Amino acid sequence: MKHLTTTLSIGALALGCLAFAADDLPRHPSDIAYPPLTFNPPSPSEFRTTLADGTPVFLAPSKEFPLINLVITFKGGSNLDPAGASGLAAMTASQLRLGGTASMKASDLDERLDFLATKIGFTSSDWTSSASLNCLASTFDESLALLVDMLKTPGFDPSKLEVAVAEALSEMKKRNDSASTISGAEWRRLSYGTEHYRGQQMTESGLKGFNAESMRAMAASIFHPGNMKIAVTGDFDRKVMLEKLTSAFSGWTAGAEQANPPVPTTTLVPGIYHVEKDIPQGKFIIGLPSITRDDPDYIPFMVMNDILGGGGFTSRITQRVRSDEGLAYSAGSQFSAEVFWPGQWRAAFESKNATCALAAKLVLEEMARIRSTPVTALELDTAKKSFIETFPETFSSRDATLGVFMTDEWTKRPGDYWTTFREKVSKVTPADVQRVAQKYLDPSKVTILVVGKWDEIAKGDQGGRATMAMLEKDLGPTKHVPLRDPMTLAPLPMK
Amino acid sequence: MRYLISSALALVVSAAATAQQLPVEVFTLDNGMEFLLVPRNDQPNTVSAGWVAKVGSANERPGITGISHFFEHMMFKGTNTVATRDPKRDEQFRTGQKALRDRMNQLIWGDQYARYFRGEIDDPWNPANDTPELKRLRAELKASMDAQQGRAKTEPINALQTKLGSLDPVKDADAIKSVQAEIAKLEADQKSMGSIVKDEFDQLYTAGGGSRMNAFTSYDQTFYFINVPSNKMELWCWMESDRLTDSVFREFFSERDVVHEERRLRTESTPTGTFDEQFEAMFWLSSPYSWPVIGWPSDLNSYTMDEAQRYFQTYYCPNNLTGVIVGDFDAAKVKPMLKRYFSRLKRGATPPPVVTLEVKQLAEMRMNAAAETEPQVEVRYHTVPFQHADSYALDVMSQILNGRTGRLYKTMVEGTGVASDASARQDSRKYAGAFSFSAEVKGNATPLQLEEGWYAQIKRLQDEPVAEQELQKVRNGIAADEYRRLQNNFFIMLQLGVSASLGDWREVNAESGKLLAVTPADIQRVAKKYFDSTNRSVATYVRKAAAAGSTADEPLDPALAALPPQMQAMAKQAIKRIAAETDLAKLKEGIAQFDAQAAAAPEPMRPFIGFMKDKMLERIAELEKSAAPAAK
Repeated sequence: MKHLTTTLSIGALALGCLAFAADDLPRHPSDIAYPPLTFNPPSPSEFRTTLADGTPVFLAPSKEFPLINLVITFKGGSNLDPAGASGLAAMTASQLRLGGTASMKASDLDERLDFLATKIGFTSSDWTSSASLNCLASTFDESLALLVDMLKTPGFDPSKLEVAVAEALSEMKKRNDSASTISGAEWRRLSYGTEHYRGQQMTESGLKGFNAESMRAMAASIFHPGNMKIAVTGDFDRKVMLEKLTSAFSGWTAGAEQANPPVPTTTLVPGIYHVEKDIPQGKFIIGLPSITRDDPDYIPFMVMNDILGGGGFTSRITQRVRSDEGLAYSAGSQFSAEVFWPGQWRAAFESKNATCALAAKLVLEEMARIRSTPVTALELDTAKKSFIETFPETFSSRDATLGVFMTDEWTKRPGDYWTTFREKVSKVTPADVQRVAQKYLDPSKVTILVVGKWDEIAKGDQGGRATMAMLEKDLGPTKHVPLRDPMTLAPLPMK
Repeated sequence: MRYLISSALALVVSAAATAQQLPVEVFTLDNGMEFLLVPRNDQPNTVSAGWVAKVGSANERPGITGISHFFEHMMFKGTNTVATRDPKRDEQFRTGQKALRDRMNQLIWGDQYARYFRGEIDDPWNPANDTPELKRLRAELKASMDAQQGRAKTEPINALQTKLGSLDPVKDADAIKSVQAEIAKLEADQKSMGSIVKDEFDQLYTAGGGSRMNAFTSYDQTFYFINVPSNKMELWCWMESDRLTDSVFREFFSERDVVHEERRLRTESTPTGTFDEQFEAMFWLSSPYSWPVIGWPSDLNSYTMDEAQRYFQTYYCPNNLTGVIVGDFDAAKVKPMLKRYFSRLKRGATPPPVVTLEVKQLAEMRMNAAAETEPQVEVRYHTVPFQHADSYALDVMSQILNGRTGRLYKTMVEGTGVASDASARQDSRKYAGAFSFSAEVKGNATPLQLEEGWYAQIKRLQDEPVAEQELQKVRNGIAADEYRRLQNNFFIMLQLGVSASLGDWREVNAESGKLLAVTPADIQRVAKKYFDSTNRSVATYVRKAAAAGSTADEPLDPALAALPPQMQAMAKQAIKRIAAETDLAKLKEGIAQFDAQAAAAPEPMRPFIGFMKDKMLERIAELEKSAAPAAK
């Protein structure tokens, strides 16, 4: 009996294992039948209304948490910095928050906000600015009143400016300490020139010239009705919220909408540029001008970049430079399409000095290959599915959704963009990918910026597979660019 | 105003009293794998899913430091099903590579280390120092890896590609065709030799609509996560249970180069990366927190496939894992799926505990560094681990200090204005904890002034209880953050997983109640208990001697920079006097005096005396040299 039981149980176990092994587990993910996911992007009209003065308001109430989040966006930012006063718009925004108001001392305001656990912030960047408020629904009225007070009657307390200037000077001193800040600033100079606001940086003398008057003038030019859009999410009633907003902003003088930012007059000049930095790993950017956001080639370009270097491990540059050769931890490409002028396509990586040239060579080879040979069906299918399947994430929260709609309205994005997005992606062909690569990604026209230790980088790898001299054959001799004095931006002597 | 304050106080606190707990359903499989399920419909159509292994660098030992992190990289390299077109041949490649690399390691740990110890070579691991046998083995290994990856013919193909790019599409139409045919043949050849489908793990998720797929390794945990569309839960179950049962450590040897680059990027090429690493190594006396998560460079080269296999079997058993799923999903439908897929993991022995406790520190330790950064300071104290009763008071104390209206900003950034930035933090790890103060100077202030400013803050916390109003402000912030931290699927998933790996996911719901219960007396008590000078380590940074373009007002002598900050000003003055001195006899007399004093001088003064003596000797040499021609 005992024997029998054992046999039986072993048999059962074996059967169980067999059934389990055969179970029913699909052999491969491609064998799984997934339930359909239907998703229709929301339309701005579901959320949009206006205040009596015409200010657009997007409202998305929800009861999940007793919190309210309010964001106001304004047109105009760093593009409005006067000559020699780079950084003024950003400083103005932060001092709106920190400098007190006509009726409340800065330190009292800080104490009150922290006591209410209310977060208020102002930022100004590139060509937009914003004010944001996040608070418990129970403290919304007082929090909103404080925010509006800051907007309408800013105090610009000079002692707070003094503290902020000292902090900014400390940051400025560190500009040449890390390769990434050197590289970022130099790339902007190469891309936009020092005449354009994007290529400019704050200096010590410019910063010391900031004062209450210059900030007041800057604030007046950006932060006013007629130049703003409001979005509110969280725990509130639509009708009540509209009443509160109307009364909060009443009596605030409206002005005109800010103009578009100025178009840069220069662009990347092909060639190799180098800034010296004694570190064991060189930092490379390889880039070209791209297209504007509303260009008909935008979607094919986006898909092409995803296959070439934008799609993480699945993309070619990452695979070759990181995964195949182990030359870098991060290696890939980015495609930016600006609203007001053509954006850029950029590949970037960091590699030990000896293998920088080799990694750069591989990037250029991949640029050449995507022009010469059609992409495979699997590559194209993966990239397209990725954009289509992750599409709902664009609208994954109420805040994200309203943010998209505000930006679209500022930039006058075509109304059918989101409703036709997936269809347009699905129609991209291998020929489209090859065509945009051929049109925009000429490896002989790239600009390469190198930040690192030149004597080691130039020599290349031990096996002689690549040296910087090999790249110079096509791109001309490397231009050695001086580091800038971090406080004045004056070029520093090179050794 | 008074009315306003009290009414708001009541409002905020009542909100906290009703603060909603994160509703977590615990679902445990027979094999011990635990899942935390949080269905939420506020972010429709997507799910954040992940699992955490309760293992990190604290579970390592010298010789295999960094293996937890390296292992995390390996988990993306596929299985016998994913990322290979021929699992048998792939295994042959791996076995062959393992034999080659094991042999190389024996030679390096033996002969190359011996040569290094004798000073014959600068780095036993640098291929430039290879012996002929190592060179041969290395080439053989590389050839095998290339063949496995299906790129044995990469070089000739690249040459043809380059040629193709230079041909004119109209004039050279025939030539283009023949080059393309040649490329196609070479590609087919090398593909048939290879066994890897490159990065298929990533490709399957990407095509399935996965995003933010990644993982991180820390001292106490290794966490793998992704966002997937709601209808792809089964894809996640398939992929994760597959790699947990059948990971094969593909590309084990080439991936080390990637990790070396990661180390260069994060640690070696940043202004304070290597200093932070050494400060950590100095601070932890016996605790395994002393080595970096990414590992020491020699260990990064050393671990073997056998060690990785052992590590996987020890720590990646289902009873040591917690899965976390947050987002738009139906628990009733997902639970059978979890059971079906993750039941294929086999329960393992309970992993060995970390037994080495941190010993009590007996004396202050200091690191005086010169780095390419603004002068700054960190003061760090041994405190307490996760869920220790004092950890909450220490956390609240840090919040009293931090923020725009916190004490550090008001006294050090605004008040005396010595700091451009100052902050404090309690870091409660699984087996030990630390409290640190960090600050950076403003203008011409010195790290010493920051240090003194900090000690004054600690003294105040020890001497006076925190005012009720000041504490209430912090409590209000904690109460509001109760909600803020629950607004995003991905962030909720991270919090639950990290808490689970530290020992108790329920802490996510319990923590704020314990923080809100902290009293002024608690804060005063912990301030007195942990902040002795003998319990602290101090790192001071001065800006490294000017390289081209550095911002130092004057080049800083490295020997001077190495002195404790409080001695630097004194030394600078003395150097000026020495430089101005022209009387050889006086200088020589000075040296004699220093020699006499050196023996009796307290230990901290000795570097200063040594430095001054060197400067005097330099000056004497200078004077004697300039005097020499005149004597001729």
